[in-house]
Amino acid sequence: MNEYLTLANSKAIYLIVAAILLFVSLFCFIFIIRSYKAGIKMGMDASLLKKAITSSATFTAIPSISILLGVLALGGNLGLPISWLRLSVIGNLQYEATVAQIAAQGMNKTLDSSLLTMDDLVTILLVMTVGIIWGCLLTIFTLKKYTKKIHNRKKDIKKSDRPSFANIAMVAMFIGLCAAFLGNYVSNFIVNGVYLPVITALVSALIMALFEYLITNKNIKSLESFALALSMIIAMIATILFSILL
Amino acid sequence: MNEKGFDYDKYIEDTHKIGRFFLSIGVISLLMAPFIIAYYTNAHINFKAFTTAVTKVLLIYIPSCVAEYLIYVPLLGIGGVYLSFLTGNLTNLKLPCAFSSREIAKTKTGTKEDEIVMTLAIATSALTTMLVIAIGVMLIVPLTPILQNPVIKPAFDNVLPALFGALGYQYFIKDLKISSIAMISMILICIGIPSLIGDTGTMIIIIGGLSIGVSYLFYRHQYKEK
Repeated sequence: MNEYLTLANSKAIYLIVAAILLFVSLFCFIFIIRSYKAGIKMGMDASLLKKAITSSATFTAIPSISILLGVLALGGNLGLPISWLRLSVIGNLQYEATVAQIAAQGMNKTLDSSLLTMDDLVTILLVMTVGIIWGCLLTIFTLKKYTKKIHNRKKDIKKSDRPSFANIAMVAMFIGLCAAFLGNYVSNFIVNGVYLPVITALVSALIMALFEYLITNKNIKSLESFALALSMIIAMIATILFSILL
Repeated sequence: MNEKGFDYDKYIEDTHKIGRFFLSIGVISLLMAPFIIAYYTNAHINFKAFTTAVTKVLLIYIPSCVAEYLIYVPLLGIGGVYLSFLTGNLTNLKLPCAFSSREIAKTKTGTKEDEIVMTLAIATSALTTMLVIAIGVMLIVPLTPILQNPVIKPAFDNVLPALFGALGYQYFIKDLKISSIAMISMILICIGIPSLIGDTGTMIIIIGGLSIGVSYLFYRHQYKEK
């Protein structure tokens, strides 16, 4: 390991990163406890609240492994603790990798650990942070006013006879989100012949359809919390098989 | 206040206070981190290179940051927004996770119950990601050859298709008309401008906006008739 990587992976940096992440974890814990207690006081079913927690945990576990792979990929050049920090807070892999590259280019370098120095690393880290904090700043300074505005609009709409458009808009937005990803895989297949993402998505959708059938028609309610995670695992196993066979 | 003496408005007011406190300290810590690391390692921030790079980055990312904020706030609930904007991975993880929990809990957007479910889901999701990554980092030596095994690698490269395949099924069957319009538009745009393939950040805003716009037209048409 060169001197740069030894420093970039030093204990001091691990400790700084761990302290920040512990603080963020504390934030999450406090919000879980507060919202759980509030839910109970509001008369919500405790089992429903527990279901929200378990389903979120199972849902997140597998995609988190792919984020871990991003940590490994970025860690080769930025050191493990910095990529651990960057992929645990704000941003996402696509953003971090692009911005790290732009920042390295700004110093007439490429993102290569044999060329980088600690001066470059701290500069890259500052660029990555300043580039992405705007959503946080907007939240800190405007969220209260913004949510009040949304709330008042909803009240006005409720006064009319029409059902609220809000729920329809939420579903439409999420359909748009899924279509952006799935359409991207289909076009990538048509334009570049990349087929594995399409096959994976298709298998996952079919398995999910089967689970929905079992939940709704065969009343196997215990599947509800795990249907998504299981669909993903089965689709990913199918991806391995297809990549070997095709 | 309800019959059990729970004051929801105060709960929301406190959510804002706690959220702002943690988010402010979080942002300050993240901004301080490069300076603290520089101090410990005797390194120096190259401010000239920083200015050049950050100008480019801001030109690209500020519009999408603002658009994401305006669009995602009504979807995530108040507690969820504070958590998601600090913990990141919003479109590829927090949003799908929140919607999946809403689906399971059968809550309606904007209701008090939905606020609770969204907060629980997003906080749990953030903690799970942090835990998985922390364990992964601790076990990096034995895990690296497994995760980078060429046989298994295609599975991890296709986590998002697996996620959106299942979620897509759940949501597309809710409104086949909007889904068809969104999918066909996305495919035609990407075939027409191939450089947009892979730029899902931009396309989510375009296709999401289009879906909401079309659903509004259908909504207006339906209630005009009545």
